[in-house]
Amino acid sequence: MKELFPAKQIMGFVFSLILTAVALAVYFLDLSFSAGLTILIVTAFVQALLQLIVFMHAGETKDKWSIYGNVYFMVFIALVTIFGTLFLFLWDM
Amino acid sequence: MKLDHSQPLEYSTNQNSVNIFGFWIFLGAEIMLFATLFTVYFTLSNRTGHGPTGTDIFEITPVLIETILLLTSSFVIGLAIHAMRLGNKKAMLTFFAITLLLGLGFLGFEIDEFVHYVHIGAGIQTSAFTASLLTTLGTHGAHVTFGLFWGLAIILQVKKRGLTPETANKSFIFSLYWHFLDVVWIFIFSFIYLK
Repeated sequence: MKELFPAKQIMGFVFSLILTAVALAVYFLDLSFSAGLTILIVTAFVQALLQLIVFMHAGETKDKWSIYGNVYFMVFIALVTIFGTLFLFLWDM
Repeated sequence: MKLDHSQPLEYSTNQNSVNIFGFWIFLGAEIMLFATLFTVYFTLSNRTGHGPTGTDIFEITPVLIETILLLTSSFVIGLAIHAMRLGNKKAMLTFFAITLLLGLGFLGFEIDEFVHYVHIGAGIQTSAFTASLLTTLGTHGAHVTFGLFWGLAIILQVKKRGLTPETANKSFIFSLYWHFLDVVWIFIFSFIYLK
């Protein structure tokens, strides 16, 4: 039975619950908008990396750099799209 | 068919590893799909017109339950893949079934949330805010719904054919999809509900 619950994945799960709790604190604590947003950005991206490495086994095979390269490139394009649009439409730059 | 025994079953043939890499490229396109939805939401979330704002309609309790359900299901599908690598078909299928039940629970809460929004006058045509909110949530929910049918089909196939390089490959690819949906939800939870 024990071999069905690997320590690495249990730790990953506990850690992602902790990150969710930290993110949730932003909702209940009276933080400034930018402080809250900073915490959320950190917790969300750490949690995404955790999923990628612990649960999606991204770094375990020979094609690991193709996988990471593909994901990081798309995340980069995604961020350019999001922030580029915000620059134009919301922040008037 | 050449089997490489230094690799787990789902990677054991050349076709299998190409399939998995191909799915990663598909996930890259999915990142972009959700990025455009987030772009629209961030741009329009203040354009509430005569409709309600986010603070008016968001309720933290059901959203938190949805988050915990999806997070746990992502953990359990990880256990399923671990069991599969151990060659324990029974444990794998049990974990798969638990994953899908948690996913179904998530979907139940989300449908209830949508009914609630429409009921309080925040339908998809109310304002630019509600339109972009419901499109983003709905696209994620549609992915989860599709995943439930896909996962069910995989359970049936593994039951029928056992753990072969093909079925292991399909199961692993499904797990990637399911973890990806959890990652998207983390971003929805953080930047739509909590912000």
